[in-house]
Amino acid sequence: MRGLVAPALVIARRDFTAIVFTPTFLLFLLAPLLMLGLGAVGGFGAARVADQARGEERLVALLAPAEAAALRSADARLRPLLPDGAGPPALAFAAPAPVDEARALMAQDDDVLAVLVGPLGDARVLARPERKRAGDYLRTLAGLARAGAEPAPATMVAAARGGDDPRAQSATAFAAIFAMFFLTLLLAGQAVGMLAEERGNKVIEILAAAVPLESVFLGKLLGMLGVALLFIAFWGALGAQALVMFDGAAPAFRPAGGAGAFALLFLGYFLLAFLLFGAIFLGVGAQAGSMREIQMLSLPITIFQVAMFGLATAAAGDEGGWIATFGAVFPFSSPFVMAARAATGAPVWQHIAAVLWQGLWLVLTITIAARLFRRGVLKSGGIRRRRR
Amino acid sequence: MTEYALTAVGLAKDFGRKRAVDGIDLAVPSGAIYGVLGPNGAGKTTTLRMLLGIIEPDAGERHVLDARHPAHARHRIGYLPEERGLYPGMKAKDAIAFMGALRGLDWREGRRRGIQMLADAGLGDAAEERIRKLSKGMAQLVQLLGSMVHRPDLLVLDEPFSGLDPVNQEKLERLILAERDRGATILFSTHVMAHAQRLCDRLAIIAGGRRRFEGTVDEARALLPMRAHFVPRTGDDSVRALLPDDAVRSGDGYAFVVPDDGVEAVLARILAAGHGIAGLSIERPGLHEVFVKLVGAAEGDAA
Repeated sequence: MRGLVAPALVIARRDFTAIVFTPTFLLFLLAPLLMLGLGAVGGFGAARVADQARGEERLVALLAPAEAAALRSADARLRPLLPDGAGPPALAFAAPAPVDEARALMAQDDDVLAVLVGPLGDARVLARPERKRAGDYLRTLAGLARAGAEPAPATMVAAARGGDDPRAQSATAFAAIFAMFFLTLLLAGQAVGMLAEERGNKVIEILAAAVPLESVFLGKLLGMLGVALLFIAFWGALGAQALVMFDGAAPAFRPAGGAGAFALLFLGYFLLAFLLFGAIFLGVGAQAGSMREIQMLSLPITIFQVAMFGLATAAAGDEGGWIATFGAVFPFSSPFVMAARAATGAPVWQHIAAVLWQGLWLVLTITIAARLFRRGVLKSGGIRRRRR
Repeated sequence: MTEYALTAVGLAKDFGRKRAVDGIDLAVPSGAIYGVLGPNGAGKTTTLRMLLGIIEPDAGERHVLDARHPAHARHRIGYLPEERGLYPGMKAKDAIAFMGALRGLDWREGRRRGIQMLADAGLGDAAEERIRKLSKGMAQLVQLLGSMVHRPDLLVLDEPFSGLDPVNQEKLERLILAERDRGATILFSTHVMAHAQRLCDRLAIIAGGRRRFEGTVDEARALLPMRAHFVPRTGDDSVRALLPDDAVRSGDGYAFVVPDDGVEAVLARILAAGHGIAGLSIERPGLHEVFVKLVGAAEGDAA
């Protein structure tokens, strides 16, 4: 095993430094800025539409006038303390009514996210399952109104948390899918480009004589993985810093299980996705004799990758549906779909099963791709090898 | 150290319907410089690639440095392929260190040795230069040094002299001899006979995928009879009648194969006829003539 890994690391080191210590790598590293710029233009319009839609949503309190005034006062004190974009919908009031009427109100009007049924001394809160945070906000208000107290910092933090905001989770899920797609598309393609360069330089013959071709294959994958991790570390650190600096001002980043767990799962699924697609690219790319042939062969894989991206985004928007199940099970879309689920929340067992399943496919894919690589690189007319 | 660094028996390889190598046997003594000679397309490179384990033979056995498979002896082998390959963006010293690292040598040590080897080869100034800035000959020498940096027991060089000017060819010959003096076994392929004649302890001539000869340079030269070059004192053409039948005009004299019973009887006839002897040389034919004869015969067989 050492005979396989040690030379792979030598090749990975060479590839890594050959990519990273060049001026063009800066362009690659900063490419997301361009995408963010373009995204901001499109996002601006989308945000306006979303804001308009959100303006109709509301919370309702069924209270007597005196208690309604106390609740309105509590709302006036608490709401300004919440970060922009993290605040709940507007609060409306209606005459006291029994719980059944509150339920009927929610059934009739989809824009009513939660209802508080008085009196405040024995308040009951009904909330839509997917908007629990709205209910939490009403409970917090009721408590403040009863006590007549100023909101404590802990209350503000609790109110501002968006861990169960489905809109924020969906946005995070989509961002995760897109980031993974973008990185695997860019880096796996680059690995094939490096291979083409080596064939052009005739270095591949030296590598083939010096180390097992499986090490060359593995080294190329690891080298590009190193570049990918550097990329993620750079942007991850910047993103984390931005979140700290503008605390709570980024409502879109609200993974269900918390940022730490999400980051860990994202990294794991990214590794699996990159290795899966990188192996396919290398295995197929090795069959080509020229850069033009590599481009021709890469096209179907890229289309396949885009299809997986489409499947994953469809699956993320179809929670519980057959597309979601299929997307999570199909090995080449599974990393994307499960990364999205890391944002929206999924039981731990699902992640364990997904990692094992994807790991199995990874071993299978790498084994087949490495054989294709050997045959393609040497063009020696067969893949049979003697038993050693 | 065993008697043979490398042995091969009945190596064969087909590419599609074409048989590139057809049952080649080789035995390379440890510590020797061994040449594999052959015309273009003879199967030299394919043979070397099979010996190194880069490709698998369709038939035959090979044993390299006592390993069950050449791959198991990779760290003890250095290889310069026919198609030279270096990363253009690498510095010369790093290129050497990289090739050493592939064979298990520490990067830092590889770089240190690379700088020293470049200086010893008169390329000290090139150590910090990127490969793309070096001449073709210099880059080729850098690659050769890379194949030696880990101090291999077996050095395999495929057409090492091609593309080099006479000065660099001379440098390369010195490097090969130095490696042999260090104790390494050197196996190289070429179709330039002068290098083989100067360097090889033993050699094999292959043509059409088959081995046509195996032995020392002298044994190869002994395959053809000695040739005499005689210059008469008089310019009289009648001396031709006194020479063997195969004698042909050559410069100011005649060239002919030395008869089985020597030249004494021929000379006696010439002296008796009063022609006199202005010059006489008897030489073994060179490796070039042997090569042309053997390869020509092989091509005749194939036709």
